[in-house]
Amino acid sequence: METKNIYLPRLAEITDIKQETPDIKTFKLKLSLVYKPGQFVEFSVFGEGEAPFCISNSPTRGPGIECSVKMTGKVTQALHELNIGDTVGIRGPYGNGFPVENLKNKNILFVAGGIGLAPLRSLINYCLDRREDFKSITIVNGARSSNDLVYKDEYPIWEKAKDTRLYLTVDCQEDNWSCMVGVVPRILEQIKPVCQDSVAIVCGPPIMIKYTMPVLLKLGFCPEAIMTTLEMKMKCGMGKCGRCNIGPLYICKDGPVFSYAQVKNYVS
Amino acid sequence: MTLRILLNRVKTDTLLKKNMTKFIKKEDLYKLLNSFLKDFEIIGPKQIANKGIFYEPLESIEDLYLGELFAIEPAKKFFLESSECLFHSGFLDGKATVQDAPLPDKRRIIIGLRPCEAKGLILLDKVFDSEYKDRSYINNREKSVIVGLACAKPDKSCFCTSMDGSPTGSRGMDVLLFAVEDGFIVEIYSDKGKEAFSSLGKEPDEHQNKTLSAYKQKRSELIGKNFKVPGDLSPIFESDYWDKVSFPCLSCGVCTYLCPTCHCFELVDEGRKMYRCNDGCAFSNFTLEASGWNPRPTKKERYRQRVFHKFDYFKKIFGENLCVGCGRCIRHCPVKMDISEIVSNAPSGAGK
Repeated sequence: METKNIYLPRLAEITDIKQETPDIKTFKLKLSLVYKPGQFVEFSVFGEGEAPFCISNSPTRGPGIECSVKMTGKVTQALHELNIGDTVGIRGPYGNGFPVENLKNKNILFVAGGIGLAPLRSLINYCLDRREDFKSITIVNGARSSNDLVYKDEYPIWEKAKDTRLYLTVDCQEDNWSCMVGVVPRILEQIKPVCQDSVAIVCGPPIMIKYTMPVLLKLGFCPEAIMTTLEMKMKCGMGKCGRCNIGPLYICKDGPVFSYAQVKNYVS
Repeated sequence: MTLRILLNRVKTDTLLKKNMTKFIKKEDLYKLLNSFLKDFEIIGPKQIANKGIFYEPLESIEDLYLGELFAIEPAKKFFLESSECLFHSGFLDGKATVQDAPLPDKRRIIIGLRPCEAKGLILLDKVFDSEYKDRSYINNREKSVIVGLACAKPDKSCFCTSMDGSPTGSRGMDVLLFAVEDGFIVEIYSDKGKEAFSSLGKEPDEHQNKTLSAYKQKRSELIGKNFKVPGDLSPIFESDYWDKVSFPCLSCGVCTYLCPTCHCFELVDEGRKMYRCNDGCAFSNFTLEASGWNPRPTKKERYRQRVFHKFDYFKKIFGENLCVGCGRCIRHCPVKMDISEIVSNAPSGAGK
């Protein structure tokens, strides 16, 4: 029997494109895919290359997948130039995803910075769609400025959900900004989320993760109760190409979701 | 002569319950190899003037070099090509298409592979023939018979015995040749090897058997470098030892290129063809992200990654070191860095 080509992508048509911020677009793809919140796919823009993106919509809200892409490098720039009706290649899903079963009957604290909200949005909407499985939900979402906040039209829905609180913050005071001001770790210190029966789920730029972890520990979260979803340059997605390891753990295969206890020795 | 097992594309060779041992005269071995040339590609070490020994597809068996010198490059390029097309993308009737790259259908005999390199293939199997199977690598493995050559005279940079190997090791071999007076003692380990070599030669006589055991015993004693790899390097991850030892490194990457077990790669889409290309942890852009963030920004992190991948991470995942002690990275390093010394001198325990 021929071995299947693990590098060959499936074809997917872009069915919708939403401009989230000046440099972030959310692409909706026509593709049937079985996945868990927190998993990612390798996106192929033919002729340009591949890049990994987390799936940002909840599997409870199919069909199709959504990926939010910040225009940063060669592949993302090419992706931003695509239109509805264009075709991309998708490999995956890869990675472990969030341990949703272990989150049941827990208070859940989401801590997101910038585009780090993308993988959390998949889980947030998953939790809201199965609201009775979880206790309180707290979302702390920060960005450099209000222009950099993503999924803005979902905030009112999240705020209205049962036993759910949303804290929005920007780094510096702006005109017409009525929510919080300050970096994410400072906001956590102010709101003091409950740590009993709680799991904190953190995703954001490396600098935010670095300063958020000590605050969560101080608030009483144990390293096992802090989950983070990490990103590195994941090329193959299958633990072979050798780039994305943190210690012996491959982010693409063993992660991208890790407990802080698993990676704290290697996140310097 | 055709080989039934190879032609049937048996997935992996099955090991024989009991090794077969034969004695073959040099001219008979060459005659046999010549008879294979019609149906097989024969790859073996070849002396190239002013350059050294290289594994090459042989047009004539006369070019085969079965002497003491080592090939400069490993034979890994015949299993993981330095740049290999994986799929094509294109358009058909206005619609996007993707298509597998065709797999070569060439059956091969790779002769003259040293025991360290054959063991390297077993280590690569753990990566490419595991949970996610790389079809091109597996195709290359399936279609190759490995006919090794036991080392007669190890180099001063060899350290295979410290990596649980031996100059006469059989791991990864279908057949292993021991060069003796006027011919070769041939040990046959697998069905593939039996198919190819059992028809020729004769049982070794008592003298030849004695020669073989002496050969096996003595060759290991010729390895000058002997050391024990620390069981767990993680306590010294943050040590400034890595600043110190990586200081001379030029980040040229020759160590990764010449290593029989280094396998890190890049995926590159060029002209709508996706290629898997050699890459290596020595290069700063290996982990450089589009945002400008680089989790391994300096030589310290990059060289540490090389050492940890080989002697800590891989061991934690697969139970053995990702190093076979062939010594190529030592012989060919332009600034004479010696990974065996770096590992054996690593500070014990945590701290600076």
